[in-house]
Amino acid sequence: MSMAILTDITKCIGCFECVAACKKTNGHEADKPYVFHINDGLSAHNWTSIVQRPDKHFVRKQCRHCLDPACASACPVAALHQTSEGIVIYDSHKCIGCRYCMIACPYGIPRYDWDKPVPYVQKCNMCYERVKHGKQPACTAACPTQATIFGERKELIAEAHRRIKENPGKYINKVFGEFEVGGTSVLYISDIDLGFLSYVAIPGTKALPKTTATAMEAVLPTFFGVGAVMGGLHWLVRRRQKLQRENEESEG
Amino acid sequence: MNRVDVFKSVLWTLTGLAVATAITRFIFGLGAVSNLSDSTPWGIWKGLNVVPGIALAAGGFVVTAVIYVLKREEFHRYAKVAVLIAFLGYLSAATALVVELGLPWLVWQPVIYWQFHSALFEVSWCVMLYLGVLLLEFLPVPLEETSWFAGLRRFLTKYKLVLVFLGIMISCLHQSSLGTLFLITPEKLHPLWYSALLPIEFLVSAIAVGPLVVILGVLVICYMYRKEADRKTLSKLAYLGFIVTVIYGLIRFIDLGVNGKLPTIFDGSWQSTVFLIEIALMLVIPIVLLGIRKLRYSQAGLAIACFSAVIGLGLDRANIAGVMLQVPGSHYYPTIYEVFVSLGIVAGAIIVFLFCVEHFKIWDVKWKDPRERAEYCPKFGLASDVWLGSPGVTERVKYSLIFVLSFALGFALMPQDRIESKGVEEITVQKARGGDTLFIDGNLDAFGTLFDHARHVDNLGQKESCIRCHHMNVPLDKESGCWECHSSMYTATDIFRHDWHASPNGAAIACDVCHEPPQERQKASAKKCRDCHVDLYADSTADTLDTYLAMSYVDAMHILCVDCHRWLASADTTRAALAQCPTCHTGSQPDYLKADMRGELRRPAPNHVMMPPAVLQVKEE
Ligand code: SF4
Ligand code: SF4
Ligand code: SF4
Repeated sequence: MSMAILTDITKCIGCFECVAACKKTNGHEADKPYVFHINDGLSAHNWTSIVQRPDKHFVRKQCRHCLDPACASACPVAALHQTSEGIVIYDSHKCIGCRYCMIACPYGIPRYDWDKPVPYVQKCNMCYERVKHGKQPACTAACPTQATIFGERKELIAEAHRRIKENPGKYINKVFGEFEVGGTSVLYISDIDLGFLSYVAIPGTKALPKTTATAMEAVLPTFFGVGAVMGGLHWLVRRRQKLQRENEESEG
Repeated sequence: MNRVDVFKSVLWTLTGLAVATAITRFIFGLGAVSNLSDSTPWGIWKGLNVVPGIALAAGGFVVTAVIYVLKREEFHRYAKVAVLIAFLGYLSAATALVVELGLPWLVWQPVIYWQFHSALFEVSWCVMLYLGVLLLEFLPVPLEETSWFAGLRRFLTKYKLVLVFLGIMISCLHQSSLGTLFLITPEKLHPLWYSALLPIEFLVSAIAVGPLVVILGVLVICYMYRKEADRKTLSKLAYLGFIVTVIYGLIRFIDLGVNGKLPTIFDGSWQSTVFLIEIALMLVIPIVLLGIRKLRYSQAGLAIACFSAVIGLGLDRANIAGVMLQVPGSHYYPTIYEVFVSLGIVAGAIIVFLFCVEHFKIWDVKWKDPRERAEYCPKFGLASDVWLGSPGVTERVKYSLIFVLSFALGFALMPQDRIESKGVEEITVQKARGGDTLFIDGNLDAFGTLFDHARHVDNLGQKESCIRCHHMNVPLDKESGCWECHSSMYTATDIFRHDWHASPNGAAIACDVCHEPPQERQKASAKKCRDCHVDLYADSTADTLDTYLAMSYVDAMHILCVDCHRWLASADTTRAALAQCPTCHTGSQPDYLKADMRGELRRPAPNHVMMPPAVLQVKEE
């Protein structure tokens, strides 16, 4: 069962209730203008934020919970991994702090405790503890206008398409996150383009872990291939030298 | 002072600075000394020490492969140097990683938590294994100096070929996997560097430059210790580098051509300039100098070619692992402290290298007994007849002194304000100059609010209402402004002035008044502010100031607004909107701010939600 969040940008009034609910649920301290932050509102203490766009458009930013997450495929110790609900969660006791996940994520989501001597990666976990117990995430529960809702991914996609069809001209005809980077569990419908949420305006539909898959599959064959080739060469060279020596001996 | 002394003094200085920085980093976190940030999670420690360091250490497996697998005995004399350079290269990369990782004490965790899809998992396994292999390969050299462990030495020498094979297999894997690391960032890495062939390019370029690093190492030792280099074998080795460099150039340019990226090279952007520099250093100069036989056999030609190739490869790796991986909106440049660590780790490796050169049989002729050299003759102090002890000891004393001094200097240079502020932009609050309509945006997130002072005065009941906001402890205190205690914009500040309270020119209060005997004189047991200043608080606040800290200005102000608005909203249901954030934070700014805050917005998003602490309850009237 794949759970998802659908955010309807046209319904968001920018009230920050989701942000406040997230902070409260996860016990985050108040945020300050740290020099380490990107100015999109996300930080080690803010797992979700409201990005303000021109003409009173408010876009909630959070981890997209990719179906094939780049962060999880990059993590060398599987600290970031996907649950059966399609939620990408973080195991702090496994993390070694390499921050490769931050490099890999196409949406620039994971943040870091730069000011702590024992730092961890910080990102939305779709309130896994709540979802596991059959509750909905704190942020969707808090939203006063139902701009952001929680449900099964399939149903939410159907709902998104229904809204787009029933209100012709209101939305861009696209469910953001349906196919991007292999599909994400956090979906958007919107009347403005949401390309700014990722590093490139139009992220491909190819899941990023696929880019490294070929190379990673070649690892073991390479290992033994190199060994075999080197062994062969060694044998050839030895043999040639031996023949040469025999030649010299028979001549001399 | 001779060449060696000067060089070593510089090395020890750098090491001292690096150690001081590293200690600070472990106590206060990465943010205290580095400019690493959410937009630039990898800085020069990864981009200059780890990734290029591993590439440049490839000489170990290439040279041993040539010697032991292809049986080219003429290079045998350089086997140990090559292995040593590789070992130290990996060791310095591993050291840099320890400083760089967020949780370095868990660096071994890939051993127990497996993740086969991660290139980094594979790299970390290989690096750990290869470090072990290199150690075993090199161990016979120091063991030669002693009669202990003779059995171990014989064993290692006997099974050298196994180690060499293992080394080659492991190296090929992780040299290429280092390239795989960056395959997952097609959208971030500049197209001139991104390529599906990155793993192959990484491997081939490492094989090309590896031997050149060894040659450079040999040339440097010969220069420093005034020895004659054996140019003939070195040039032969360089020829191998030349051939692989040509292959690498072909792969790289054919790949660029096939993907139609060739025009990008000349588009005039700064990235294309960097690319051209990189190509000149890594391909053009070495290929020209090493391709021409005469130049290849000249010391200068060889040295320049190797140096250029080394710098070029370093630049290539640094570009891929950092410079060209920057995301929009990041303006990373390393702090001086990051540079300290970066250089200090390399310096440390070179110190160990020189130590081995001086004490072990690194290439088959053992170095002359160092004590026989002129500069190791007995030394005398300036007063001319004070003997400073045996030469070895003087050396040690001198370098220890240099290290300790630079270590202390390093601590003196640590960024105090940066460490204390924990990365918060430090802003001291100034006295307000007034103005009837203020744009308040304490955290500069463009989600501020237009505060209409006149309207508040009207609505709240003219002059009598001043005290509802200014100041909380009227009427006894009419003098102090909020900013005097809440003096920092974002951080809580200590407002108890011990010196003034105790001083005869101040309040001249005797110690015992606040620190009542027989208690020990400590902060915890001392009197609290409110024990004397009974009028310090507004009635409405539950805050006790027992920590002697005044909250930050933005928190204080915001809580003031929120308190009153909540109370008004609860008192009058028709005005419930007052308690909602967007009522004030409308997202619109005054015109004079729009120029740089609208459109893409200078700071495109709201950063900070200041939640009023739960203890602050609105007092019912
Ligand atoms: S958005 Fe980024 S952090 Fe979230 S699951 Fe996808 S790759 Fe991972
Ligand atoms: S920083 Fe932690 S979670 Fe991220 S990739 Fe490294 S080990 Fe995994
Ligand atoms: S799902 Fe939970 S963790 Fe994620 S943004 Fe919402 S409240 Fe925060």
